[in-house]
Amino acid sequence: MTESTPEFGAVVDLDQVGFAYGKRTVLDGLSLQVQQGSIFGLLGANGAGKTTLLRLLLGTLEPESGSLQVLGESHPLRIARRIGYMPQLNAIYLELSVQQNVDFFARMFGMASSKPRHSAVESALKVVGLWDRRDDQVLLLSGGMRQRVSLAIALVHQPPLLLLDEPTVGLDPELRATFWDHFRELATSGTTIILSSHTMDDAAHCDQLAFIQEGRVVAQGSPAELRTAAGGPEATLEDAFLHFIRLGQSQ
Amino acid sequence: MTIDRTLAIAHRIIIQMLHDRRSLALIIVAPLVVMALVGLTFADQRDVLNRVAPALITTFTLFFTFVLTGVSFLRERSQGTLERLTTTTVSRGDILAGYLLGFLLFALLQLVAILFFTIVVLQVTYQGAIWEAFVILLLLTVVSVNLGIFVSTFARNEFQVVQFIPLVFAPQLFLAGILVPLNQMPRYLEIIAHGLPLTYAVEALQDLMIRGNSLGDELVQLGVLAAFAVGFFVLASLTVKRT
Repeated sequence: MTESTPEFGAVVDLDQVGFAYGKRTVLDGLSLQVQQGSIFGLLGANGAGKTTLLRLLLGTLEPESGSLQVLGESHPLRIARRIGYMPQLNAIYLELSVQQNVDFFARMFGMASSKPRHSAVESALKVVGLWDRRDDQVLLLSGGMRQRVSLAIALVHQPPLLLLDEPTVGLDPELRATFWDHFRELATSGTTIILSSHTMDDAAHCDQLAFIQEGRVVAQGSPAELRTAAGGPEATLEDAFLHFIRLGQSQ
Repeated sequence: MTIDRTLAIAHRIIIQMLHDRRSLALIIVAPLVVMALVGLTFADQRDVLNRVAPALITTFTLFFTFVLTGVSFLRERSQGTLERLTTTTVSRGDILAGYLLGFLLFALLQLVAILFFTIVVLQVTYQGAIWEAFVILLLLTVVSVNLGIFVSTFARNEFQVVQFIPLVFAPQLFLAGILVPLNQMPRYLEIIAHGLPLTYAVEALQDLMIRGNSLGDELVQLGVLAAFAVGFFVLASLTVKRT
């Protein structure tokens, strides 16, 4: 068996990946590549297969057909230490404080010695602006703050690849802008970010986009490229999205 | 299995439990209330009380740990933290060992309270060495934690965990020799009773308390309990990562 080496800079390489829950096909021959240090947006309606795709990239689900390479590894669970994941549910412990949550997950990633761990927890909490609230119990925090705790957990072990499942859902515009500032900073420092969303506001911030419909990529490119392909420079991203989705439906 | 991850999970469970003051109070107060009622009911029948008390102590141990572990683990699944744990480098063994360690602490607290109340306040006969009772009951706690995690796989919400209580406990309550001694049961029920962990724990504790036996006399019971503990540990580890 020959394994193709991913071309330089491709952090994620999916080729004709298929996945089904029982008889229901969720991913149908999906192919895409993500370059290192880029912010890659998976755009699609609810149920398009975005979360399933992220789970395949995490390795908690395995593809039924096609090939998948994440950071050069076809079984991503083996490199769990190099991937940061923010699930759609916040998935944090309400009884614990902000710092206890992040510290707990840092230990789950094998950061046993306490000094480097404390500084990693501190820097993750500073990134999301919660260092001053570190002793607050999560139960008493607002939804947006809980989301920031969840993001800090994904960052704490400083992974080169971040998988974020609808990270901006339910955030107010100001917090959303703050999140995007963090994402841009991380990408500039070399972190690759793959995130799912169904809002065009998020899409506009991404370097690369894949429009996903019924488990297939119906269009892929930079926001500008997709707008141009859909009808010229005056077309909005929303126009482009609808254009490609309708094109996909008619096929 | 890694020690730091196991300790981190145990520590987290302890923090979570300490925040739930009411549950904490209930696992101590509820058994004492029941024990007090039983003590008053059989105040004039010391031999019945001597037989029932050890049986109740073991039942409490099995019951509260089972419910606490089952519900905690169910929450872990439903709030998505279990999925998140599966994306870290933690192993099944770390998770189970961490849960066990965390809940052993609360089982121990409960045991101290119940045994003190039963022996000192109710003056129930206790012939053996106290530490030997802890060995039996902590072994039963291990059975219970793993049983709770295993059963939580089949429950989608807290209500369903509660529905499992009669299913898991009614047979054990009726057949473990608590209400009727084993040798007075029909043969087929006696056979079923010997397939249930509580039977062995009750037997061993009764032997210790009433007859003054030592652990050396209860090797069969301890061996069977250990086998149940290992068996449920295996079952729990097969289902632990199912999110």
